[in-house]
This record gives sequence, C-alpha cells and structure tokens, in this order.
Amino acid sequence: MGHRWHSLQVVRLLVIVMVAAWLASFGSTSPSAQTTAFDLAGNPVDPLKSAGGKVVVLVFVRTDCPVSNRYAPTIEKLSEEHGAKVAFWLVYPSKSESAEAIRKHEREYGYKIPALRDPQHVLVKESRVQITPEVAVFDAGRKLVYHGRIDNLYEDVGRARSSATTHELEGAISAALSGKSLAADATHGVGCYISDLE
Amino acid sequence: MTRASQASFGLFTLLAVASAGVSARHAAATHQSALKAAPAQSQVTFNHDIAPIIFHNCAQCHHPGEAGPFPLLTYADVKAHGRQIVFVTSKRIMPPWLPEPGELKFADELRLTEEQIATIRAWVDQGEIEGNPADLPAQPAFAAGWQLGKPDVIVRAAKPYLLPASGGDSYWNFVFRTPVHRSQWLRSIEIRPGDKRLVHHANVLVDREESGRRLEKEPGAGFGGMELTIESEAFDPDSHFLFWKPGSPPYVEPDGMALRLDKNTDLVLNTHFQPSGKPELVQPTLGLYFTDKPATMHPILLQLDNDRMLDIPPGGKNFQVSDDFTFPVDASILAIYPHAHYLGKDLLAMATLPDGTKKTLIHIGNWDLNWQAVYRYEQPVDLPAGTTISMRFTYDNSADNIRNPNQPPKRVMAGNRASDEMAHLWLQVLPRESSGAAMDPRIKIQEALALHHIQNNPGDFEAHYNLAALFQMKGELSSAVLQFTQAVQIRPDDPTANNALGAVLLASGQLDGAIVHLNTALKGRPDYFDAHYNLGNALAAQGDFSGALTHFRAAVRLNPQDAGAEANLGSALAETGNVKEARMHFERALQIDPKNELARENLEQLNRDSHDHPN
Repeated sequence: MGHRWHSLQVVRLLVIVMVAAWLASFGSTSPSAQTTAFDLAGNPVDPLKSAGGKVVVLVFVRTDCPVSNRYAPTIEKLSEEHGAKVAFWLVYPSKSESAEAIRKHEREYGYKIPALRDPQHVLVKESRVQITPEVAVFDAGRKLVYHGRIDNLYEDVGRARSSATTHELEGAISAALSGKSLAADATHGVGCYISDLE
Repeated sequence: MTRASQASFGLFTLLAVASAGVSARHAAATHQSALKAAPAQSQVTFNHDIAPIIFHNCAQCHHPGEAGPFPLLTYADVKAHGRQIVFVTSKRIMPPWLPEPGELKFADELRLTEEQIATIRAWVDQGEIEGNPADLPAQPAFAAGWQLGKPDVIVRAAKPYLLPASGGDSYWNFVFRTPVHRSQWLRSIEIRPGDKRLVHHANVLVDREESGRRLEKEPGAGFGGMELTIESEAFDPDSHFLFWKPGSPPYVEPDGMALRLDKNTDLVLNTHFQPSGKPELVQPTLGLYFTDKPATMHPILLQLDNDRMLDIPPGGKNFQVSDDFTFPVDASILAIYPHAHYLGKDLLAMATLPDGTKKTLIHIGNWDLNWQAVYRYEQPVDLPAGTTISMRFTYDNSADNIRNPNQPPKRVMAGNRASDEMAHLWLQVLPRESSGAAMDPRIKIQEALALHHIQNNPGDFEAHYNLAALFQMKGELSSAVLQFTQAVQIRPDDPTANNALGAVLLASGQLDGAIVHLNTALKGRPDYFDAHYNLGNALAAQGDFSGALTHFRAAVRLNPQDAGAEANLGSALAETGNVKEARMHFERALQIDPKNELARENLEQLNRDSHDHPN
C-alpha cells in the first residue's frame, strides 16, 4: 500500500512541474517557450493527453461566426450520441473572446461540451484547421485522422443546402472508433477564417 | 323595398415573396484578372482606404442591432474579419446585390467596384495596416430604434413565432390588426422584423378582406407558408411594394403616392427565416407613418408569369420559362421584383419598345432566393404603349444546384411550397394618363393582363376572376357572369368566386342562379358576411322575407358595424310585419351611418304609417 501511495505522489509532482512550466511560458515571447490551450478557469489543458484513450474531436468555433453558430445543434447532437467513447471539445481560437463571453455563448447555444480557449493557436496548428467551424478528429493513439468540415451543409458562405448530404465528421468518428487506419483525410470548411484572429 | 346591393370584390393576388437560386461561381475567375489590372497600390491603410469603403457599403448592416452577424465599425472589427472580407467581396457574396450592372440604375445600389475589391485585398495582403488617425473618416451614425422617428402608430404581432434552433428555412406570416378608425393615408411602414440576423426578407401585404385571419388556427397565432394569396378589392390596394431586406432604410412613398389604410384592414407580414443555431422567439413590430396628402397617382403592381410552363424534369440544368406582355397604354416602371424559388438560376427581364429598341430591365445572373429584393429604379423607366415586357427565367434542377431541395432531383412544378417553383416578375407601373381618356388606364392594363394570362393558361382561376371583376366594374354584367362562371368551373367550391358569381347574377336579376352560388359560398365559408348579405338580398327579391331574415341576422352578427346590413335587416323585418324590431335596426343603421338612405326612407315610412294608423 505504502508503495502505491508513493508512486501517486510522484505523478502529482510531475503534473505540478508541467503546470509551472506552462505558467512560465505564458506571456513569454521566447519562440521556444511551451504554449498551450486553456480551460475557462484559465488552467492549461491538453485535450489529447487527458483523453484516456478516447477518440478526441476538437470543434473550432467563435462567438461571432454565424456559420459555426448554426452548427451548434449538430455538434451537440453528435457529442450526445458518441459521448461515451469520444471526447468532444469546443475550441475558441480568438485571443480577445473572454471566458465570460464564451460561457455566455455556450449557454445561449445550449452547448454542454467543455470549452477551451486557444489564443496561441496551439490546437489550431496541431489540428491543421483554418476555418470556424472546422473539426479535427484524433484517434486513440492521438493521431490526427481527419480535419475539415463537419458536413456539406454549406457550399460557400451564404450558399447552403436545405440539408447536408454528406457527413464527414460522423464518418471520421466511426472510422476512428472502429480503429480503421485512415490516412489523414482533409476537406475544407466554409465559415470564418481563423487567420483573421492572429 | 329591400335593395339588392351586391358586395363583390375583385381578387387580385399578391403573392408574397420568397425564393431561390443558384449562385456565383463565375465571379472568382473574372476577379482574379481584374485584380491584376487594379492600380498598383502603394500602401493601403485602414484609415485612408478601407474605412470609407466599409462605412459606406457594409456598416449599415454590420452594426449592433442590425442584420450583420458582427459589427464592422472599427479597425479592430474589420481586422478580425479581414480575410473573410476579401473572400466574400471577391466572390461578390457581400455586399449582397444580385442585379448585374446595366444601363438602368437602381436606387441604393450596393455593389463594390473592382477597384474597391482589389484595395481590400491589397490591404489584407500588406498586413492590415491601420494608418494615420487623421485619415479616418467619421464613423457613420445610425439612429437607434425607429429609423423615421416615432411612428404615428406601432403595432406588434400578437404572438411571437418560435424559430427552431436547427433545420432548413422557415416561412411565417404574422397578421397585424391595424387600429385605425377611419381611412388614413400612409407614407411609410417601417418593418421591424424582430432579430434582424434571423430574417432574410419580409414583405407586408395589405389585407382588406381578412384573408390572413382565416388561415390562423387561433386569433393572432399567425400561420406558416412561403407564398400567400390575399383577396382584395379591385385595383386600389396592393399597388405598393412593402418590402424589408437587411440594411435597407424604410421606404417613404413620394407625395401623391400614399397608401390607403382603411378601418378593419389587416397587414400581413410574410417573413423568411433561417435558423441561427439556438431557438429564437421572433415578434415583429410595424411602425405606421401617416400623411395628410392623399394619393393622386395610382401605380399598380403587374405580375408576369408562366407557371404552366413550369414542369422541370429532374436533372434539367437550363430549363427556360418565358412570358411576354405588351402594354396597352403609356406607362412608367417604378420598381421591379423578380421571383423564383431554389431552382432559379438566371432571371432576365427586357423591354422591347415599338421602334425595336431593347432595354434590359433587370438581369440577375446568379439568382439567390436568400437575397431577393424589390429593386426601385433611380429614375422611372418611361415606356410607350406597345412596349413588350419579356421575362426569361432559367432553372437548374440538377444535383449540381446545391440549393435543390430534392436530392436526388425530381420533377418540379409550379406551386406555393418552397420545394415547388415559381416564375414571377412583378412590376410597379404608373400608367401615364392621356388627358380626357375615357377609361382609367389601370383598367386597360389589368384587362389586357387578365386576357394575357387566360391566353397563357385557360385554367387560370385568378385571371378569370379578375377579368370578371373588371367587367363588373364597367357594368358589363353578362361578360362578368361569363368570366365568374369560368372561375367557378375551375374551382367549384371556392367561396369567394361563388359569392362573386352569385352577386353578379343577383345584380342581373338571375335570382335562382344567384341563390345556388351564394349557398355554395356559405357551405364553404359559413361565416362569410358578403355571402349572407347577398343571399339575404336574393331571397328578399324573391319575396322570401323569412329566409332573407336568417341571412341578414347572420350578416349583422358577423359585422355589427355595417349600416347596409342593419338597414336590410330592418327592411326584411318590416316586410314580415315586425315593425318594432325593424325600427330598432333602421335606427341602428343610422347610428352607424347617418347618411344611410334606405334606413332613413324606411324609418320615415314607418313614422308616416304609425301616424296614419296608430296601433
């Protein structure tokens, strides 16, 4: 028993060290400094490390993008359907959207999925996304297996189908869950440019 | 002693708007080349170059409370959407403006020049430099609240509409009861459709016959539907486009073109929504602005269409629908409104003058229902009699048309649902009256148009009905009977058409026929005031006063404010010997309308009788 307790302590220490490193990097301009995304309480979070072997879906949104907003019910529905095996995160890549504004946005649009702020675009780069709303799917081995649109509802900004006829995100989740080895598949989303937030 | 006065109404349909299309692929290529030709900008800055473009063309929608999903008022606002703006302007998705540039100019054109588009791109490519603060023009000032100041009357939809969080487009109609107690002239209606980010367009229809209310499940509830038919008196109403689209200031009618608003008139607001991602309650308001200057000019709305040609096979990419109508009188076109649904692709309207000159009235190369609008010409387009208006619409019913509501595509025909199609071209036309003309030129135009529609489609109910109403108005009763009969043959159970046919048969003394059709009208609509009134008259004319009583009583119950119904009820009562009650109804008629001659004469007669034969 004593031995197990000791090893747990070691793990906890390690975590503290990592947090310290993150905190040190925050605000630093050094290009080699470690960067991260944050939860709404301001704590650094790496959604891939905390996944515990689940498939991870990152959904990139912003509060003022009408296209990503229109997807809220679709995203929430997919997360409810796959929640047991898939960890969904909303990622807000804006530097200026406050945790408070994001909480309000989540309430208004009925989001129950946890939200992350990604002001340094760590997750944006890791996910190779360019648009809100694009999504990234990582398999249990933390490999990026899909990034791009949720479905084909929009052909272009202002050019929407009455309903989507292809469902890329659902397909990617199913493939990741069944362990199919996908070559990192990609499509382009329609919506708002994340690069405008740099 | 009872006077058969018939109430009949022309049925002019104003189909509320909404529709469709395909859009803009061609833009990308042309813009690329235009871009290269754009002047080599030295350094483009927000304050010097970009702010004037944005303030003038974008900020009217992109400011808080308006339709734009985010504001574009400051450097930070614009920078936060810089690439987005390059994308949407270079593809001409924004600002939304469908017509191609042409010889005729529209008011409030919202179209960037190639140079402006290239300037925005250069600014973003150069790193979005803010520039010298001294160069920044004043931020545009936008009035909060009512754009025309405090309205004379504000009416609010009785019940909000709940727009679901997800799904396709929604169409909802709100019926506003207008609280005016006498006829007033309106110079403007400011439409506040609720949250402007949700509303693609909205259109007010003047409803003098409670056509909208009859479609409500309960009073004030509103009703669904993309297109609607409003019954109205011949000619006068519906001569104005009352249209709202994002970013447009409310339209104020020029002096002499005010719109008449009568007591007991409803305004029906037809709205097109798109879900936002969260459930939304929408409760529009209308602001009414009156004027004491009555209408002296009477424009009319004309509809060209050829719905019978609309039978689009699945997969058809270039299905054409055309219609050509020749003006019988000199006329000026004030505004134009082309309308198709989701398969519409290319919408063209031309005018060919008697000398062969052609003018493009409007050309929309990439029709998009979402941005449909009424386009008003900067200057009226004056056209001589004999000018032919041609409508040439092209439809894409292939799977490549991403807006195609049927995937895979299927056969599509004309209809009012979003998945049906339409080929309509509305024109607001002001006939130019030659002095001493014997006939109102509007009647000539309407008659020519009704005949034209019947020629296109002998089964066109509304055309037969409208033609009949015109004949009736001119006193040509036998022609009116003929046309109303055709309308009734097309829709045997239609209450309005049966009432109208009954009324005109009654007026021409054909009582048996009148009674048959008036009864049919009441079978379809038991609470139909006009039909009760007319049937009461028809039965009275046959000497069946107790039968007449039943219907006059029903009429008075349905509309307690109608002096004519009260007077006729009094007359029927007098005929059946019920003098006491008759007197009460004559007095009531005179209370409502002191000038009601029937009531006055009959009351005088009663007084004389009671004087000559007291009890």
